[in-house]
Amino acid sequence: MSLTKGKLNTPYTVSSVKTNYEDIRQFLFSLGCYPGEKITIISKLASNYIVNIKDARYSIDEDLANAIIV
Amino acid sequence: MRIALAGNPNSGKTTLFNALTGKSEQVGNWVGVTVEKKEGIIKQSLYQSSLNQSLDQSKENTIVVDLPGAYSMSPYTQEESITKEFVLNEKLDVIINIVDATNISRSLFFTTELLDLGIPIVIALNKSDLTQKKGTMINVQALSEALKCPVVETILTKSDKNGLKELLAEVFAADKAKIKQNPPNIRGSVTVTSKEEYQQTNLKRYAFVNAIVAEVERKMISSEKQTLQDQVDRIVAHKWLGIPIFAAVIYLVFSISQTWVGPWVADIFVGWIDLLYGGVAALLGDNVNPVLSALLLDGIIGGVGAVLGFLPLIMMLFFCLALLEDSGYMARVAIVFDRFFKKVGLSGRSIIPMIIGTGCGIPGIMATRTIKNERQRRTTAMLAPFMPCGAKLPIIALFSGVFFSENAWIGTSMYFLGILVIIIGALIIRQITGDYSKSYFIMELPEYKVPSLKRAAFSMLRRAKDFIVKAGTIILVCNAVVQILQTFDWHFRAVGANSPETSILASIATPLAILFIPLGFGLWQFAAAAVTGFIAKENVVGTLAVCFSVTNFINVEDLTLVGGSAEVNAVFGISATAALAYLVFNLFTPPCFAAIGAMNTELESHKWLWGAIGFQFSMGYVLSFLVYQVGTLILTGSFGHGFVGGLIAVGIIVGIIGYFMLKGGKINQGYDGIKAVNL
Repeated sequence: MSLTKGKLNTPYTVSSVKTNYEDIRQFLFSLGCYPGEKITIISKLASNYIVNIKDARYSIDEDLANAIIV
Repeated sequence: MRIALAGNPNSGKTTLFNALTGKSEQVGNWVGVTVEKKEGIIKQSLYQSSLNQSLDQSKENTIVVDLPGAYSMSPYTQEESITKEFVLNEKLDVIINIVDATNISRSLFFTTELLDLGIPIVIALNKSDLTQKKGTMINVQALSEALKCPVVETILTKSDKNGLKELLAEVFAADKAKIKQNPPNIRGSVTVTSKEEYQQTNLKRYAFVNAIVAEVERKMISSEKQTLQDQVDRIVAHKWLGIPIFAAVIYLVFSISQTWVGPWVADIFVGWIDLLYGGVAALLGDNVNPVLSALLLDGIIGGVGAVLGFLPLIMMLFFCLALLEDSGYMARVAIVFDRFFKKVGLSGRSIIPMIIGTGCGIPGIMATRTIKNERQRRTTAMLAPFMPCGAKLPIIALFSGVFFSENAWIGTSMYFLGILVIIIGALIIRQITGDYSKSYFIMELPEYKVPSLKRAAFSMLRRAKDFIVKAGTIILVCNAVVQILQTFDWHFRAVGANSPETSILASIATPLAILFIPLGFGLWQFAAAAVTGFIAKENVVGTLAVCFSVTNFINVEDLTLVGGSAEVNAVFGISATAALAYLVFNLFTPPCFAAIGAMNTELESHKWLWGAIGFQFSMGYVLSFLVYQVGTLILTGSFGHGFVGGLIAVGIIVGIIGYFMLKGGKINQGYDGIKAVNL
């Protein structure tokens, strides 16, 4: 399922990043968001998701959260 | 010897740079604060303490280069490319890799890439105080052995026992040993040739990092747990509460800088300028050449003084903005605005250059480099100057003080008008470019922290210095030139007091002033001030002061004028509506030359640059026309002077923009997919 359907405070394992854009996939990789790594939704704010990846907090928008498959 | 500072965004590179070089570069708390590499020379005192010897500065200087933050060597934004190109192509002796101790599992990915370069690396494990607070233990010895490079714990926010000496000692030792950095054995013997191999290598890289982290790091609290900071975020970046909170914060910043502390300091300051004026006047006596006296007193001391009088207000503004940036709040503002900016084809990232632009447009325009999507980056660079910058503050303060002293909201409303103009501008540009692509938004949220007063003070003083230097050079020369031009006629005879319209300045500015009749300020003095304003916006106030001979006029208590605003109001001889139109014209036409230069760099296209300048002129002219004509219609029941002529001019402008919008709309009709990604 996509990350947008995920529950708060539940660690998920990334299974793929579904996007045609290699550079965003590469960028997410350099942040530690790649198949096999953990991702946790900390909260949903405005139209953004606050996620925890490798000890850091990121704000990602709904489109990107949709692209991350867990 | 050359050292580069490299690491993830927000890991503390600029703080280290400042500590090493004794400089006071801007320290913020969000991605993209270092937009270009900065160079400096290591302080002599640091040499002595870390090498236990005095270094002969003439023989060798150690140059430190502060690079923009990067998450990896595969650059994602323009900024990251600067870092990659620099470490690959410049002959560096040592790289100090700043690793955020609270986030080693991510930071070490970039470290392993740097280790592969063969350049000696010394790791500064920064923020080690924060890890201790969270109960995280890092075995520094084991980390150093695993990476085969020295690791030094640093706490760069502290002034002593911060690990700086130990770090430098390692750097000098590494340089002296001249040994090639031993790369971690990740790739094995395989040379990367294909994309798959590259991905495999990167996966191995993470596996290598994860193994090291598992060995050297012991955590007490999981980072996935909700913290107090997360709770604060829920309020601060709340869907509906976010905007009023932001408005309140900004209102507070402007209240502090412009009505509480700023004017109080400015009052003292203006007193000094008055004293200087009086002193020089007494010194010159009555027998001095009137031209010289006018040049010195009214042109230089009066004109420059009028501008410098606003310095304390601007300093306070810079101080408050630096505190805000340092606290970590601004990254949340980007989240709040993302939703709205998306609707007009921008993203939350665009708010950062705009807020930085309220201090000064140049760093604001440069900050657009962190935006990945080209059209969004250029649009933001074009629109960011619509936020009133520090140099425009004197104009706002002067006009709202003289004409609207009872309406304090006029000044604040200019910022909201700025936001409105940006939104309209973004919609127009999106239509012209025909680029309706959406973009992804991702941004790291730094932890909130108590902002450093010292760093904010340094930032403020640095900006103040720039402002004073500008006032003492460009503005002084401009005012002197303006004074001379308005003192003489074309035969270089001094013009009489009763015929200022015969001066060179008047004859140059009068034809231009005709264009401004429909805007309500078709007087040569205002035209001349608007023109000098393009050199530097502070000139507007300086030139008006010189042209109308109203010097030393700021009563900073309520930003009105000495002797009451009515007198200056009478001297200016325009209606309040026209004054508002003039204010709008100066705020929403192109910024100063220096900012246009920055736009030239960031837009990377002459077509875009001329488009931007044309667009900004159009915006300023049309807005100003609307303010004057509609305002006059409401107040007097009929339109102002030059309505028909102005309407024709505005019609032509609207027609041209409309034509481009129609043309652009046809290019990419109906396209709304995600075409680009945006960090």
